Amino acid sequence: MSNTGRSSANSWLMLLLAGGFEVGYALSVGGSHGFTRLTWSLVAVVFFLLTLWALSVALRAIDVGIGYAVWAGIGSAGAALLSPVFFDEALTPVQALWLGVIIIGVVWLKLADRPQNTQEPVDGPQDTRSVAARLQETQGAER
Amino acid sequence: MQWLYLAIADVFEILVAIAAGKAEGFKNRKWTVVTLLSGAIGTYFLSRALLTFNVGVGYAIWTSVAGVGITLLGAALFGQRLDWRKALGIAVIITGVVGLQLSGAA
Repeated sequence: MSNTGRSSANSWLMLLLAGGFEVGYALSVGGSHGFTRLTWSLVAVVFFLLTLWALSVALRAIDVGIGYAVWAGIGSAGAALLSPVFFDEALTPVQALWLGVIIIGVVWLKLADRPQNTQEPVDGPQDTRSVAARLQETQGAER
Repeated sequence: MQWLYLAIADVFEILVAIAAGKAEGFKNRKWTVVTLLSGAIGTYFLSRALLTFNVGVGYAIWTSVAGVGITLLGAALFGQRLDWRKALGIAVIITGVVGLQLSGAA
């Protein structure tokens, strides 16, 4: 995480891109209608690979918990805001409120998964901690 | 049926999280294949679920439930601490999903 300002800025740009790709993924998966529409399906595959790639590049330099929270937040908020534009779907204010609660919950959960929270001294055998550290990497590379 | 599709999609999304970690930045070929295959299967079932769910709603439930699953699995199998912050996040997500369901959006 010790970066020059420039590579750090690039990583954040990549993270924002990954969030945008994730919105594209959500919308095109919906638009594919169960992968029965060819164009939407191909677009979905491309966005799937792009979001996976961009997120993994961004998380090389950005804290896993923060990076994943931003990515998940952009993805779910973007999909929620743009799905009515693309799909003639409307939510009642109450439904939109609950959707907002979920999005806040997922961002919060990802922030809570930051390494400094999980790498506190662990009681028990030494290898427990190395396994925990491994899963931390796992979550970092998710998607 | 859409809830079953979403549940299956979530199982594969959790598998993606585990496999992507083992793929070591996609240098490990076997786990990279598992990652992509799980992602593809999960995406297919998500698309089936989104035939019924509103796209924004279905996606949010899918991704947040996967997050809950990953956190719980980390605590159950990988010895990670389930502290109050994570527990609160899980509670907020479950509240939101139940709220959406009761308000007729899901």
